[in-house]
Amino acid sequence: MSPPAAGAAATSSDGPPSSPRELYTIPASSGWFRWDGIHETERRALPEFFGGAGGSGFGTATRNPRIYREYRDFIIAKYREDPARRLTFTEVRRALVGDVTLLRKVFAFLDASGLINFSASSSSSGPASRQQEVGVVVEAPVGLQVTPRPPASYFAEEKRGGPGGEKENGFRLPPLTSYGDVFGEWAPGKAPICGFCGEECNDEKVETLKDGFKVCSKCSKSNNDNEEEANKCPGDKKESVDNHASSPWTDAETLLLLEGVLKHGDDWDLIAQHVRTKNKSECIARLIQLPFGEHMLGTINVKSVSRLHMNQATDGKMNQHLTKDTSSNSTEKVDGMQIDGNEDSADKSVEEHPTKRRRLFSSMDATTSLMEQLALLTTSTSPDVVAAAADAAIKALGNENSQARKAFRLSEREFKTKAFASNHVQQIDRKVGNKDVEMHDQTGSDKKQEKKFIASAYQVRAAVATAIGVAAARAKMLADQEEREMELLMASIIETQLRKMQYKIKHFEELESVMEQEYTSMQQMQGSLMNEWLKALEQAFRAGVSLPRDELLIKLFLNKPSP
Amino acid sequence: MKTVSLGASRPSTVNFRMPTRDNLVPIRVDLEVDGQRYRDAFTWNPRDPDSEIISFAKRTAKDLKLPANFVPQMLQSIQGQLAEFRSYEGQEMQIKEKIVPLKIDLRVNNTVIRDQFLWDIGNLDSDPEEFARTLCDDLNITDPEVGPAIAVSIREQLYEIASQSVSVMREKQLSKKGRRAPEFSSNSKAVNNAVDLFKYFGSKGSVIRKRKEWYLYEPVVDVVANEEDGKEEPLNNSSRPKKRAEEEKVASLQSL
Repeated sequence: MSPPAAGAAATSSDGPPSSPRELYTIPASSGWFRWDGIHETERRALPEFFGGAGGSGFGTATRNPRIYREYRDFIIAKYREDPARRLTFTEVRRALVGDVTLLRKVFAFLDASGLINFSASSSSSGPASRQQEVGVVVEAPVGLQVTPRPPASYFAEEKRGGPGGEKENGFRLPPLTSYGDVFGEWAPGKAPICGFCGEECNDEKVETLKDGFKVCSKCSKSNNDNEEEANKCPGDKKESVDNHASSPWTDAETLLLLEGVLKHGDDWDLIAQHVRTKNKSECIARLIQLPFGEHMLGTINVKSVSRLHMNQATDGKMNQHLTKDTSSNSTEKVDGMQIDGNEDSADKSVEEHPTKRRRLFSSMDATTSLMEQLALLTTSTSPDVVAAAADAAIKALGNENSQARKAFRLSEREFKTKAFASNHVQQIDRKVGNKDVEMHDQTGSDKKQEKKFIASAYQVRAAVATAIGVAAARAKMLADQEEREMELLMASIIETQLRKMQYKIKHFEELESVMEQEYTSMQQMQGSLMNEWLKALEQAFRAGVSLPRDELLIKLFLNKPSP
Repeated sequence: MKTVSLGASRPSTVNFRMPTRDNLVPIRVDLEVDGQRYRDAFTWNPRDPDSEIISFAKRTAKDLKLPANFVPQMLQSIQGQLAEFRSYEGQEMQIKEKIVPLKIDLRVNNTVIRDQFLWDIGNLDSDPEEFARTLCDDLNITDPEVGPAIAVSIREQLYEIASQSVSVMREKQLSKKGRRAPEFSSNSKAVNNAVDLFKYFGSKGSVIRKRKEWYLYEPVVDVVANEEDGKEEPLNNSSRPKKRAEEEKVASLQSL
């Protein structure tokens, strides 16, 4: 399955592993690009920044991989602010500090490799690939029919069906998108874009639904019955889609909507009242479409996180079981049927563990940040740890419930059939990019496989368990580190105090010795004085008493302080 | 991750040359003979034999329909500037990463362009001509004389900085021998306005410039009316490119 493909640019078709993290279409030739890394191609093309052959100036202050990434990311982000416009070097260089010769080399490289200016055409044909507007998924009510299911599978469910349909819009927005991208017109010169799979339909067989959506032949075949159902029951969502298409939002309305959101929070009825001209679901859809809508709602992030954990879980699982999987498809189908039949029991089995369930929901609904943190933690941990945690989580789940084991085996088979399955192994840490691929995967093939819901339920649980495991491992690590640091600090404090005391003691000792010396010298002085007095008196007696001397003596005695 | 020690640009010493990929010398000619004025700016390869200069001067005079007595003066002017360049050539200069702001403030025919950008004079891979071409393409400047004029202006500034660094080197050597070099500090003016690399490229800095400073590094192009044309330099009405590159170079490059 390919990500939503741009019209003008060649798409990274059939290569989801090499698609960029943001679902931004780039030419297939530059599929190596990663936001969070530097590829060999970049190293070869710009040896100045990375050393190696020809890297004459490498290692200087202005030329190192970090600087390169700053340059690169800025230039790409700058281009994506308005992909329809050709970004020029002169425009870029005013915002970047550095040697223009070097900057121009970076720019020329990015330009040549199609990371920028790929969909900017000399003619003003407008943004090529803005299918978000058109590609509102007309959801089939298939998902709604499956009522008894483990609660955890709700994730997967909601993503494809029900209210998730509109949310997908926001879900697909690349973070770097701007107003121009989202609301840019679908270029009339391009081939129609399928409302189901979001791909451009190049073949002539394009069906147009009565509500204006184009469906490519591929989807129309597979979705035939769903389509009918969709046409039969014009539900709330479809209505909103229609309205949405018919009456675009004005700036004033958007402003009112934002005001309403700020004022009323989650209460969409009140918000709709506040906006007045639009109904509830339109308001929701609009808010999600806004570039920052995700941040206000947050729930989408939660979903993507859970989804990516699921990927990891299955990755780990796949490694584990690849060799073990000898059972044929037929037996697995039987497994699946059993699961179908035992939906109720599965439901019950989950309800037997209320703690688990509550935790899942609380993390899903309330504390968005927790899941985000988990994702963050997972990314910051090494793949080995993640894999180990995933294994542990799966094992634990398997012990807890034998159904889970089956489900994992099932999912594993499924992944094996996918073309990109093998790539997943090496891409444990590649995350967000998968979410959309995954989603399309689901929309494409979900029609008849209800058993997959249960499988994915376990996957999600395993994923969450994995994430928590990883978080725990990391927390332990951090705690250990903190503890060590605390000990270290404590020790140094004590040491300092001790030294202080020692200094004081030393000081006092010195003072004491000084005092002692003074005392002894004073005693000596006293003794010698006394001796002198005695001598003087003896001499006076010996020489007989002469009056003046007596007087003198008496005077002296009188002056002398009493001993 | 390799540890990159900041500012550890290993200075290497080479014989004097233009700090660009092509060792081309900027030449500026401004002559006035018998009330006729000829101004021109172009680049010259110092490796070319000097006999080329004569044929160039003759050819130019013929193309521009200048009187023949311009030729010896042109010859003299070009040879003088090449001789000055060659006088530096035997000496050594340090090639070291140093990023300086260069300024462009030019009027070419009817186009007035001002610009400022950073240039690493230690980067021997740089190419002023290509930079100027990109600039003109990006700004949709159609006048074919603008690009070469910008390139020459860049080369002149680089040439000045390079020749200063040579004299600084020489003075250092002299002062090592014990002689006083009183004008030492005055000559290293150009050296001092180099960009503080730590500020932007250190681990705490960012190479993304502040938005409010963008305008400083943004080219500004004006097209002026045609009025002064003809009265100022009646001689230069022919379409020979690169002539009359009127340039007012900002002598004191302001530091960032």
